[in-house]
Amino acid sequence: MIDNPYSFAGQDEPKPRRERRMSVVVRAPRRRSWIGLLTVIVVVAAAGVIAARGTGYAYAPAPRRASLPAVEVPSQAGAARKLQAKLAAQNKQLAAALDKLAPSGVYVVVDQTQNRLYIMNDDRIVRTSVCSAGSGMVLKASGSSKKWVFDTPRGVFKVRNKISNPIWKKPDWAFVEEGKTIPTNPADRFESGTLGKYALYLEDGYMIHGTLYTRLLGRSVTHGCIRLGPDDLQAVWDAAPIGTPVYIF
Amino acid sequence: MKAGLIATGVLLAATSAAAAVTSPPAPSADEISSLGAQNTILQKQLDLAKGKEFYLLLDPQSQTLKLMFRAALLQEYRVAGLEVGVPQVLYRSRSDSSDWEGRVWEGGTLDPGRELDRVEVQAPPPTAEGTEIEVTVPQTPEEKYPVPSRYHIRFTGGLSIEIRPPADAETSKGFWAKISDGFASWWADARAASRSAPTDTVRLHVVLSRKDAESLYRALPPNTKLLVVPPRS
Repeated sequence: MIDNPYSFAGQDEPKPRRERRMSVVVRAPRRRSWIGLLTVIVVVAAAGVIAARGTGYAYAPAPRRASLPAVEVPSQAGAARKLQAKLAAQNKQLAAALDKLAPSGVYVVVDQTQNRLYIMNDDRIVRTSVCSAGSGMVLKASGSSKKWVFDTPRGVFKVRNKISNPIWKKPDWAFVEEGKTIPTNPADRFESGTLGKYALYLEDGYMIHGTLYTRLLGRSVTHGCIRLGPDDLQAVWDAAPIGTPVYIF
Repeated sequence: MKAGLIATGVLLAATSAAAAVTSPPAPSADEISSLGAQNTILQKQLDLAKGKEFYLLLDPQSQTLKLMFRAALLQEYRVAGLEVGVPQVLYRSRSDSSDWEGRVWEGGTLDPGRELDRVEVQAPPPTAEGTEIEVTVPQTPEEKYPVPSRYHIRFTGGLSIEIRPPADAETSKGFWAKISDGFASWWADARAASRSAPTDTVRLHVVLSRKDAESLYRALPPNTKLLVVPPRS
């Protein structure tokens, strides 16, 4: 065997066998990619918040100055004054017509949902009372298609009549409700004491009256009438003469 | 000489008298249009008063919301704040808010609604002595109609009144409850504004005390009308 003339001494000696080792390389986290991701998240979130703020209802304070309609004003001073006088007269007329429709003096307001009765005097509340209004119940007669709805009607009524120590003429539903036979003799319909000390008759059989069941005041339990406690009934009796308007809403 | 002085005096007196009689200056266009606008509003109030429906009068100037019927005041609520809102999507307004004052809005209904829970009772068969009927004590209006903290009165034509309690009335709520309410409120608004036809083209945000807000919710009759009285100039 010819020696390799280019080799250094000992170079061609067999290499020592290298041991094979398994190694796991754990890369150091890339800071740049994290920052990028965070930036994207922040930008998307900010864009979302900005878009969300610009979507929905944009509120502004209500205008404090009237935007007046354009009116053709005559150039001549005399004609302009004439127009002003005409409008002023019209204004007076309209205001007077509105005043005429509005109740003057004492009137009664009944809030049938919240069971409150107000005695009003020229738009001022003079007295607030707890009352009871219609239950809204539907009563179906046994063995017939007849039914009654116990609502207090909404609208404006007038006190038509005022009776002290009223006697109640029980209508058909009062017997049906109690499972009693409807009497044929009208005298069997009369009952005293049930309506309290006073009754103020409105229209269509509806009344403002007293009650034996004062613990139920404030709840919608009646058959359509307005029930009051004794003191409040006395106050209405004293304040509301015949003809007093009663507004029920 | 004397006659000349008298003549001058008479002339001066006549001139000053003529000046006093001179008619006042002509009214400005603003004065006339203001009077015209007042008459228009009065006419609308008169028409409402002659009608058969209940109506609300919102007067930003006197800060009142009145429930009326036939020109009679039924209830009056103090308005603590009023804002006008228009729907917008990505800051682009989707309606014109100029035409809501001085106009009669009809068909006002509550949202969420106040449902009347009618109970039907079958009468017992009639007997001579009658039947003892079981009486159940009904709930009070407060128990029957719980009032949401935020509700709307929606009118035909796209106007709605949003009733909210004042911000300081919400202090009893916890942090997370406030966050949750805020998100729910935003979500509802965003959905309403993003529809192809927004739920409300104009929304009046009216701040009432909690007591008044609850009272109005329970008291409002169906199909109420609304007139917003423009500010008097």
